[in-house]
Amino acid sequence: MSDAVAQQAEEKEPEVDLSIADAVIDKYIDIPGNLMPVLQGVQDEYGYIPRIVADHIAERLNVYPSQIYGVLTFYAQFHLKPRGRFIIRVCVGTACHVQGAPRIVETFFDKLGIGHAETTPDLRFTFEKVACLGACGMAPLAMVNDSTYGGMTVQKVGEIVSDYSQRPLK
Amino acid sequence: MVNLTIDDKQVTAPKTATIYDAAKLNGIKIPILCHDKKLKPFGACRMCLVEVEQMKGRQIPACTTPVTEGMIIRTSTPDIVKARKMVLELLLLNHPLDCPVCDKSGDCDLQNLTYEYKVNSNRFKDEKFNHEIDYNNPLIERDMNRCVLCGKCARICDEIVSFGALTFIDRGIETKIGCEFDDALNCEFCGSCISVCPVGSLLARPFKHKARFWALTKHTSVCGYCGTGCNLTLGVKDNKVLTTIYDENQGFHKGQLCVRGRFGYQFINSTKRLTTPLVKKNNRLVEASWDEALEIVAARLKGGSDVAALATARLTNEELALFKKLLLEDVGTKNFDHAAGYAHAALTEGFARSFGTSASSATIPDIQKSDFLLVIKTDAYETHPVVGFEINMAVKNNGVKLSILSDKKGKLSKLPDAVTLVHRPGSEVAVLNAIAKIILDEKLADGSAEAIPGFAELGQALAAFDADTVATQSGLAAADIKKLAAGYAAADKGLILFPVGQAYAGHTADLASAAANLALLTGNYGKEGCGVLCLSEKNNSQGAVDMGFYAQDGGLNGLQILEACTNGGVKTLFIAGENPLTSYPDRNKVKAALEAVEFLVVSELFLTETAAMADVVLPVCSFAEKEGTFTSTDRRVQFFKPAIRKGAQIRTDFEVFSGLVKCLGGQAPASPAALFGEIAAVTPGYQGLSHVSLRKDGAFAAVSMTPAFVVPKAVAPVAAEQGKLALVIGSALYHSGTLSQYGEGPMHVCQEGYIEVSRSDAAAGKITENDLVTVSSASGSIQLKAKVSLRIPAGVAFAPYHFSNTPVTAIWAGQPVTMVTVSK
Repeated sequence: MSDAVAQQAEEKEPEVDLSIADAVIDKYIDIPGNLMPVLQGVQDEYGYIPRIVADHIAERLNVYPSQIYGVLTFYAQFHLKPRGRFIIRVCVGTACHVQGAPRIVETFFDKLGIGHAETTPDLRFTFEKVACLGACGMAPLAMVNDSTYGGMTVQKVGEIVSDYSQRPLK
Repeated sequence: MVNLTIDDKQVTAPKTATIYDAAKLNGIKIPILCHDKKLKPFGACRMCLVEVEQMKGRQIPACTTPVTEGMIIRTSTPDIVKARKMVLELLLLNHPLDCPVCDKSGDCDLQNLTYEYKVNSNRFKDEKFNHEIDYNNPLIERDMNRCVLCGKCARICDEIVSFGALTFIDRGIETKIGCEFDDALNCEFCGSCISVCPVGSLLARPFKHKARFWALTKHTSVCGYCGTGCNLTLGVKDNKVLTTIYDENQGFHKGQLCVRGRFGYQFINSTKRLTTPLVKKNNRLVEASWDEALEIVAARLKGGSDVAALATARLTNEELALFKKLLLEDVGTKNFDHAAGYAHAALTEGFARSFGTSASSATIPDIQKSDFLLVIKTDAYETHPVVGFEINMAVKNNGVKLSILSDKKGKLSKLPDAVTLVHRPGSEVAVLNAIAKIILDEKLADGSAEAIPGFAELGQALAAFDADTVATQSGLAAADIKKLAAGYAAADKGLILFPVGQAYAGHTADLASAAANLALLTGNYGKEGCGVLCLSEKNNSQGAVDMGFYAQDGGLNGLQILEACTNGGVKTLFIAGENPLTSYPDRNKVKAALEAVEFLVVSELFLTETAAMADVVLPVCSFAEKEGTFTSTDRRVQFFKPAIRKGAQIRTDFEVFSGLVKCLGGQAPASPAALFGEIAAVTPGYQGLSHVSLRKDGAFAAVSMTPAFVVPKAVAPVAAEQGKLALVIGSALYHSGTLSQYGEGPMHVCQEGYIEVSRSDAAAGKITENDLVTVSSASGSIQLKAKVSLRIPAGVAFAPYHFSNTPVTAIWAGQPVTMVTVSK
């Protein structure tokens, strides 16, 4: 067992209500090729895919649990750990890189105390470096959930973090 | 057929062939790494690149490209060799090259190809993998650092084993083979993945650092566990069986093995083996010479009809025939049997009445040729795992329809479009009768059925089994029973399978006849892909029946013999390899019988709890130390030779029985081969067979049938009782009889008995996985570990029977269904 997995196993997963997953599965159960929409629907509900839910999907859709894990680890869109309320994405594509994205990333790391693809313990923030957000004219670029912040500076990082730190979690 | 040119040679190949197949068919070698003839083409490794002129000389993979008319192919141009060399360079880039300590060395495809293509330097540089090695299970080591991502392990686990433990995870630059959530491997441990791994990523842990591959001598043999009759290649060094070696061309099963066959060989060289005869003196078993021991036994055998014998169906045909001769002619008793008597009744009574022969009317290869399988009890997968693989492949590759009639679900239920009818335990005969009645009433019967004796009376006799009544009794929906009847009747080639054995007391002569009636009604017998296949428990169960080693002409059967021991009718009991204390129902009764009998002699490999009670214990050989023939459940007679020399003071059962025949003044056969000659002359279907003719692949003993309709009696289902569960006994996947307790592999993954209960019953009793629970029945009580399982319906429990340390025979007196209470 790798360290990451051992650690994951130690962190006890919160109680999960499987009836939410069942409602999603029921919707797609008779459609061929239903694994992707089920996984997407379930992630929408829980915010991530808890292991017990993945196993439950395997049982109900009669797909090997290993295959589900293969799919989950192939697509960047699926998450196996709880995610923050606010997802901060900073572009590190070519244009943003040239415009100083590495310093923006470093500043976020400092302010949030987490690294790439990590979540703060209070489940407020998740930080991700992404390859391109498709708005190179606004480089360097950051996004928080669906809001876009162009022409990022070190100062703006502080403002964003303090702004979102005050918003309600629910 | 299509015509094509490979390396300037005009060849032909079937339309469906790939370039690789066509080349192989015509003796042209194309190197492969990810391709396996048993699996679907995959095209991952690019070792098999060839040039095709019509494709502008492009390099294309031979293993995935179908042949077309007029194709001109070159398999080893300088460009191709260069490309293959680069493929190897790239594969070796991340490979640790730790061949000196790798157990695969010498049998490694990557090593062999590297040698063949002389890849002695690498133009590229990259970091090696740094994956943690999975040592979490005792049987299969997974070292993903050596992996070349051919995907064979994942594919065989899906396509043939149908377990799906392994798959590609973290796809992309970090792709590796892993389990769900990158966990440790936890599967059936059949080791199919090890057998196809082209490198040292998947290895058998029991063989780790035991011997270099090239130091092993290979001996072909026949597996000594279940009745499937798989062939084995044993790897031997210094007179020890150290491993089983995969041979993709071996047997009908193409080298596929289950956990017992692959990992259960350690009993052969176990340090617990008996090494010398033992004789009871002053209430203690002490070492004795063979002369002394045989003299004592021979003196007791002069008792005539107060002598009885039980033999295991793991003995060879020759041994069983000789034992029978000893008992009938030299001792003068008809009291002998095997498998407690009831475990072979499906053949010796059921099929004997319905088909006029004590043998199945179908073979294992028929499974893949069928188009409708009706499997009675999902346990077929557990009792005969390699037959389970055949069912998997039939359903997945050939689109065979699968219906299952069972008291619980199982792995077979998960196959594509499998229909599982979960009935109340013990009602299978009633359901089969109902199906027969539907076939008659709805006029679905084949025209040939009317001519079969008993047809006229059948309809009347089945009157009570209308679908609605049986549906209520069995807990099924009448519509589902009707659908199953219609499906089976409509099939061109319908095949019914059911397991029998000492754990399957409900699988009686009546069940066999009920299944046979369906085949006879629909004409599903005597043709390819049709029939009724009874899956016998042990490696030579069918042989024991063919040799007539069971109670006949007024002789006592297995259970009656034990009763006679208790009441004094039998004074001398000879047990050859059976362990009734663990495998016969009602342990207390068996114990009382063995204590009561005046003289008990046991020939055994180990000092089992039964042997420990004996007056004389004779140490005998395992299958790996003797020669002879086994007859598989589908009547394939197979010859095998010793793989290792036997211990100095150990004899084969054949030698033991020969010695006793001589002691009693009789004439012993010269050799097993000579005796087999006599057997072949008188045993139906064995005519013309000899050790020499069976040397290569064995042969099916012909089965001739004289069918008749027999009305099977259906027992009334056991009434449900408040607070009690209906316990059914069966086989665990990892074990076979009681012998596998001495095979370390099976014991590593399944050490003791357990009871499987449904989620709802577990919740009601506040039972969680691995809790120790007390299981009590009318005949006793025992503590077992609990397994909470999705496959078990509410109100039902399942327990396997193999274990001396947790014998379920303490609570089970031989009924098909036992009502028990389960509490913490």
